[in-house]
Amino acid sequence: MRARLVTAAGGALALAVALGACSENTGDSDDVLDPNQVRTGAIATDPKDSMGPAPEVPGATRGGTFHILRESKISHLDPQRAYSFAGLMGSQLYARTLTAFTDDGKGNVTLVGDLAETPGANVDGDCKVWEFKIKDGVKFEDGSAITSKEIAYGIARSFSPDLTGGPTYLQEWLAGTAQFDTAWQFAESPDSLPPGLSTPDDKTLRFEFAQPRCDLPFAASLPATAPLPPAKDTGVNLDNQPFSSGPYKITKHTPGVELVLERNEHWDPNTDPVRHQYPDRFVWSFGADQTAQTNRVIADTGDDAAAVATGAVPAELVSRVAGDPAIKERTLISATPNAFRLAINTTRVTDLSVRQAINHAIDRSSIVKGLGGQYGAVASTTLLPPATLGYRNHDAYPAGESGDPGKAKELLAGRTPELVLVTSDETVAQERAGHIKAALEKAGFKIVIKPVPADGYLDTVKKKDNPYDIWVDSWAADWPSGAAILPVLFDGRSIKDEGNSNTSQLNDPGINAEFDRVLAMDPVAQADEWSKLDERIMKEHAPAVPLYVEVVTVAHGSKAGGLFIGSIFGWTSFVNAYVKQ
Amino acid sequence: MLRFLLKRFLLAVSVLFAVSVIAFGLFFALPADPVTGMCPKNCNAERLDRVRTELGLNDPKTEQYANYMKGIFVGRDLGSAQGGQCAAPCLGYSYVNSESVTDTFARVLPVTLSVVLPAAVLWLALGVGLGMVSALRRGTLLDRISIGFTLTFASMQLYFVGAVLLLIFVYTWKILPTPRYVSPLEDPLAWAQGMVLPWLTLALMFSAIYARLARAQMVETLNEDFIRTARAKGAPKRRVYGRHALRAAITPIVTVAGLDVGSALGGTVITETTFGLQGLGRTAVEAVRQGDLPTIMATVLLAAVFVVVANLVVDLLYAFIDPRVRLG
Amino acid sequence: MSLSPGEFAAATGDRPGAPSPDVADDAALAGPRDAGVVGRSPGQLIRARLRRDRTALVSGTVLLLFVLLALAAPLIQRLYGVTPNERFTDLLDSTGMPLGYVGGVSGEHWFGLEPGIGRDIFIRMVYGIRTSLLIALGAALITTGLGVVLGIIAGYLGGVVDAVISWVTDVALAMPFLIFALAVVPTFSLRFYGPRDAIPTWFAVGTLIVVFAAFGWTGTARLVRGQVVSLREREFVEAARAAGAGLGHMLFRQLLPNIWAPILVSFSLTVPAYVTGEAALSFLGVGLPESVPSFGRMIYRSISYVQTDPAYVFFPGVTIFVLVLAFNLFGDALRDALDPKSSR
Repeated sequence: MRARLVTAAGGALALAVALGACSENTGDSDDVLDPNQVRTGAIATDPKDSMGPAPEVPGATRGGTFHILRESKISHLDPQRAYSFAGLMGSQLYARTLTAFTDDGKGNVTLVGDLAETPGANVDGDCKVWEFKIKDGVKFEDGSAITSKEIAYGIARSFSPDLTGGPTYLQEWLAGTAQFDTAWQFAESPDSLPPGLSTPDDKTLRFEFAQPRCDLPFAASLPATAPLPPAKDTGVNLDNQPFSSGPYKITKHTPGVELVLERNEHWDPNTDPVRHQYPDRFVWSFGADQTAQTNRVIADTGDDAAAVATGAVPAELVSRVAGDPAIKERTLISATPNAFRLAINTTRVTDLSVRQAINHAIDRSSIVKGLGGQYGAVASTTLLPPATLGYRNHDAYPAGESGDPGKAKELLAGRTPELVLVTSDETVAQERAGHIKAALEKAGFKIVIKPVPADGYLDTVKKKDNPYDIWVDSWAADWPSGAAILPVLFDGRSIKDEGNSNTSQLNDPGINAEFDRVLAMDPVAQADEWSKLDERIMKEHAPAVPLYVEVVTVAHGSKAGGLFIGSIFGWTSFVNAYVKQ
Repeated sequence: MLRFLLKRFLLAVSVLFAVSVIAFGLFFALPADPVTGMCPKNCNAERLDRVRTELGLNDPKTEQYANYMKGIFVGRDLGSAQGGQCAAPCLGYSYVNSESVTDTFARVLPVTLSVVLPAAVLWLALGVGLGMVSALRRGTLLDRISIGFTLTFASMQLYFVGAVLLLIFVYTWKILPTPRYVSPLEDPLAWAQGMVLPWLTLALMFSAIYARLARAQMVETLNEDFIRTARAKGAPKRRVYGRHALRAAITPIVTVAGLDVGSALGGTVITETTFGLQGLGRTAVEAVRQGDLPTIMATVLLAAVFVVVANLVVDLLYAFIDPRVRLG
Repeated sequence: MSLSPGEFAAATGDRPGAPSPDVADDAALAGPRDAGVVGRSPGQLIRARLRRDRTALVSGTVLLLFVLLALAAPLIQRLYGVTPNERFTDLLDSTGMPLGYVGGVSGEHWFGLEPGIGRDIFIRMVYGIRTSLLIALGAALITTGLGVVLGIIAGYLGGVVDAVISWVTDVALAMPFLIFALAVVPTFSLRFYGPRDAIPTWFAVGTLIVVFAAFGWTGTARLVRGQVVSLREREFVEAARAAGAGLGHMLFRQLLPNIWAPILVSFSLTVPAYVTGEAALSFLGVGLPESVPSFGRMIYRSISYVQTDPAYVFFPGVTIFVLVLAFNLFGDALRDALDPKSSR
């Protein structure tokens, strides 16, 4: 009797659930992205382009509280330590930098001076000496003026071994060595500046490098150049309460729960070509995971109506978003610069024909489907992502959408190589590895999947002598130039024992020489050369199999306006955000 | 009484020490190296090693353990990278969160307490009440319905129930707000509203189990001779059931409840993850995933403290409830 | 959640009160009366009582079906024609959702396909039942065995031995299980197998069983210890001791036969707890590799799809519910049948 009651109740419930699934899925869908959208980038040398105010956003209204949803806390608020996407994009609200990008949200970026009047003057024309003139009228949150001294101090403190986490370009370039924290000791030189950095007067900041560093204007756009008065340096505690130079200042911070930013009255829009100050407050709310964030924002009630779910729509909810035009309107969809590739360990898989066979056998469509289709990823056949300046599409090993096992078998000529595919043990990574294994085995490979704990994964594949053959690796450049991608990933001279980025361990003298040649060129001329080099590396060496470029689909409430996905990092940008009244 | 307390206290301390050693050993079984997470893109071996020395990770393990335990009792100096002087009880400085573990606890403990304690009151009251009433009215419709209810929920999965409730109440019917933690001192109404779903889920699941337990226990007690004697002597039903039967039936429930609440306070990971709450359980899981030794040690120790204290409280309660139990 | 079925049974003592046929009926079942009452062994009595209890029959049959399904998994696969790791990504639409009705249910794929991956749900569930039952039964057997041995020793010998075992129990109870599992399981295999070796499924399953066993024995140990403590002052124990029985004989020939009833009940209720436990570990991402069919992983993954592919939630969710429910019902019925004093 009991059993019958229970089963009856259970059956009714189950039926109700299943009935929700009774419509047919015919698989029709429209395209949402142009994967080959050409992106343009420029460096604006005319000081007029670096002057504020930033162009008004059509329809923007002042006032209101803008909510930002995020799962885990931002690891570093301290601008000199920020390196995660959330940290970088979030810091734009309270930290101004020497240079910055104006971004139209459609892939067109221009480097302009933010605190500087121009994106830097190449004094001797050899990229070894750079000078920046600091604007007038730029102030901190307490009204004190920002001068070259405060910016120099900000760069100097990034040398401190206590303040780890941020990018290390400026430090390494100034000190001339990767061991910059011992080459110049911040703690022991409280009144001096690192070698090569000087402030001839309050309005001038001067960099002198031993090597040519033509990318300095780009590197200066990272928050490492955010200013800080020495009196306000609270060391590791700055992570909880940074001192603002931007349109907003931090007024309340409960780590892991909430971060509140309110207007900085001393910010002058006429000096800022990038940012706006529409909402009265920004409130970051932490804790909800991707699914919860997306559901809240779709429900669009209460505070969530003016919220953005920075955790992208997960693959499980993509069809909900895609199938509902009302929700789709409130969704930003954009490709990111984050390119995923199947790295091949060239010291283990030494035969080029085997590597080429892998390239032919790979089934990109199954991987992309697993990520939510075009809402999660776009298949890619190039090492450089389309976001790179000067990008050109090419396919060295045409495999069609689902792979060409026939052609791969031909190349293998009867061999059945056994390869070990190492993967992070997160579910998404394991599923992706499963797709790769299935595709390669159709061509005759024998693949062993080896899961390793997620937090040890990057350490493992970045070791020079790791025992694995293939794995999925990703790279997102810090600025959209091939110079920040190809030499880092494929120059044999940069191979390190640990923390190595050239995971394919390609070391070809011809290619290395090409890198040197192109890096010495003018940044604008470089753009075209990088895509040519991309094709050449693939055709001659095939050190990896380009898989896909990550696409983010970010949902927001109906009152959240002015949002776009930043083209540099592929993450939500808040500089134009406003609350619809 | 005093001797009993002293003996139990010493025992509890020895258990906690054993747990601390195991937790410490656990950390070194982990593959995750927290230091490499500190400089993601461009790090080299020498810098990493300097960071490791600064954090004390290159010291011999016994020394690291001793330093950590010493810090809990008298405090210690963590160095400039970790906030300097750390007063007792010093739980360390989280490598990953860039804050002292004590601050982390100040943030996450109220969340777990807010989830578990009211839910425990609910599930005990509901479960034991339902079970007792069910036993008293054996065979009636009420009994049958309650048995069906308890069987159903005792056979379900916590995250399943939680996810379904979320879907129904929050996303589809929209009558409840998304579960979130607001300090009850700031806004009691928002606090309660934000916690309703976790309370409901835990109450449904656990009250089913306690109802079964209570019912079985009550039925057995009601069969005892002394109940029949009391009724035969003419004692009113209410006194017999309320005072005598309840007292006898409650002891095993108290044992189990104590252990349950104690371990739940250590962090209900699944509930917290399902509802997106940043509580002790989730913090512990993330700490393990990222190899954050100070946080791992502190959360494991705290969870153990909760269990040990709960056991002690249960033993004391026994003395009050069951006169046959003598302490010592 | 710490309420182990062992504790549950311990709390209810060795005389749980739940409906069961009364003694008079048993006498009636005894068959035709020749010279007085026909003696029947406890086993026969219990079987008879179970046969009369409808709930026990239904739940027992369901359990038997599950076990058969698990054992016959390879045969079913051969008849069904689809393997658990075969992918049908061309039957998914561009966002990874299965084409067709109800999550891709069709004549070839009885329960549809997994969204995003494209594997057949039915055959993965059949193998998933196999894995889950294997882990649950294995863990239950080991924890019960270990708990019985330790509980008997502690309860009978008392004194220092008892104190030590109780202390170890306290430590095991104070350690948070999930954290421990999270730390140990992912790295366990790395200690036994080289970096390039494939981990066999049986090793992964074994790891989970070992981890469960390391914590699960405490419930049974406490239960058994309680029972033995109350039994050791009885006359039959004194008599055996006076007759010169050795320790082993005392423990396993005198005491054990008197406490097997609550142990059996505790065992039957531990099994579903481990089915749930394996599912909970999968929830945290700990457990078996992704390619091995697992109930827990499938349910956990399916919950995120509850809005977009409810059929994917329905099939494994209902199945695990029925499995755990059947265990609970059967455990209850078993307890009723084992108790000579309970009355309906």
